[in-house]
Amino acid sequence: MRYRTTPWFFLTPFLLAFTAFFIAPVGYAIYLSLFIKKRVGFGPAQNVFGGLENYVRAFQDTAFLQSLGNILLFLAIQVPLMILVATAMALILDSVKKGFAQKFFRTAFYLPYTVPGVIAGLLWGYLYSKNLSPLNQITGLNTDFLSSSILLFSIGNIVTWTWTGYNMITLYAALQNIPGDIYEAARIDGASNWNVTRYVKLPLLRPALTLTGIFSVIGTMQIFSEPFVLRPLGYVPDNITPNTYLYLAVARDGNFGYGAALAIIMAVLTLILSSFFLRNVRGETA
Amino acid sequence: MTSTGIEQPQTARTARAPRPSRPPREGFSPLQWGLLFLFCIYSLLPLWWVLTTMTKSNGQLYSTFGLWFASPSNFAENVQLLFTRENGIFARWLLNSFLYAGVSAIGSMMFAAMGGYAFAKFQFRGRDALFTMILATIMVPSTALALPIFLLMQQIGLINTYWAVILPSLVNPFGLYLMRLFWEAGFPTDLMEAARIDGASEGKIFWQLGLPLVRGGLVTVALFSFVGAWNNFFLPLVVVNKDTLFPLTLGLSVWNQTSSSSGQDPIYTVIVLGALVSILPLIIAFLSLGRYWQGGLTSGATKG
Repeated sequence: MRYRTTPWFFLTPFLLAFTAFFIAPVGYAIYLSLFIKKRVGFGPAQNVFGGLENYVRAFQDTAFLQSLGNILLFLAIQVPLMILVATAMALILDSVKKGFAQKFFRTAFYLPYTVPGVIAGLLWGYLYSKNLSPLNQITGLNTDFLSSSILLFSIGNIVTWTWTGYNMITLYAALQNIPGDIYEAARIDGASNWNVTRYVKLPLLRPALTLTGIFSVIGTMQIFSEPFVLRPLGYVPDNITPNTYLYLAVARDGNFGYGAALAIIMAVLTLILSSFFLRNVRGETA
Repeated sequence: MTSTGIEQPQTARTARAPRPSRPPREGFSPLQWGLLFLFCIYSLLPLWWVLTTMTKSNGQLYSTFGLWFASPSNFAENVQLLFTRENGIFARWLLNSFLYAGVSAIGSMMFAAMGGYAFAKFQFRGRDALFTMILATIMVPSTALALPIFLLMQQIGLINTYWAVILPSLVNPFGLYLMRLFWEAGFPTDLMEAARIDGASEGKIFWQLGLPLVRGGLVTVALFSFVGAWNNFFLPLVVVNKDTLFPLTLGLSVWNQTSSSSGQDPIYTVIVLGALVSILPLIIAFLSLGRYWQGGLTSGATKG
């Protein structure tokens, strides 16, 4: 075949960069995770081969397990809530003809997504601060949104604020792609608006919902910037999320082996959780 | 573009339909208005707070009502402080962010366009396995990459250089996925075959015939890469510690840290103004290129 080498020519630039900055680092992380830091005699700590010791340590590390628990809480509460609101807003916007009001709301809802996570963390951090919070000014209360009992929810709110509009646009775009004659058929059969939503729109929205779910899971497993920038503004525990715990552990002790093991564990957990969603997508398109 | 294509046949058909039972309605119901309005306030209130806060001195931040402007306005002083503090390093961060995001956008767009073309238009051994592997890496957390990247960069002496931030941002697996979809939908294989019969070289077919047909995809991927690189925080945090190399996100976060530590003049209102400056380019990009923004999401969402 004449074109046997052509695809590889086009693939080379991407594959080179991909190998250097995805494959090699992942391989190196796996390799690193097999080494433990050990003090030998009076000398400085050294990296020695430890097999799976780092992994065993991780699953006995209560601080790390706690951070995993926080993330699971996120997955159980924040992600469903966010997707529910995004779906509701997308359905509302899709239910009327395009017009000024509709476009205005779409733009308004999407704006928070243009705020980088770090910046969103900073802004909400100031809004949460006891002395500054306009919420406290209006209500006359003196709530500390950064106190340990509600800190996790305050972070959840930042993430919800940033990402709901983005998810809404994804779902809205999918709704707009549904061909008009499907509605037509449903209406000729006398389906009410609610039944059209329930039996036509929602099932057709499933692939988009699944995709939104996967990206939310991937994003949730990696939450870092928001809690990280809140640290100077209040008491934020090091292990509020797995990523902050991992970063601070490595930055403090320089224990790359342990950090790498934690990162690998997080990658595997993400894969497991996402494949649960991915199977759904495959089932839809196949 | 896509919207008009969908809307028009719809209205044409409803005109013919025997019982046009409440087709897409003209307006929202009161309940819908209420929900939309609530969510709108939630989305916009923090941004409104940014606009009012940037007019305040740090003292006024505590003494004035949070959701209204300060008078006398301190806006000019804040702008001056923002751009003169620490020898005007904020402008440097702004330029750095544009450099990081700009190079990432163009680089990853080209890589993704070429790679996506190979996957969409050629049969080759191991194609599906390779594509699945590339897609799966979307799930690898950035920390899992950043730590080893730090160590690898250290070994080749790239820590604290522009390259340390730029090189890893050139790979965008999701961009490759999007480009594959755009190539499959936008560039007919018949056209390719016809060009080959006419004797066009493979490079010419890709560059002169193909690329213009997937322009929408190119803009979409460039836009997403730009936003991704502009927002990136973890990688720069790990691979650069010289403040002249910081992007905006990292610089503002460091200012927040020093501002919050004791013995320092707090400059929260200046940071808030800086935050607005860091958002503006993305808002402009969104408002002017919104069409492409949605195009990418659509194809990503409907074609699982």
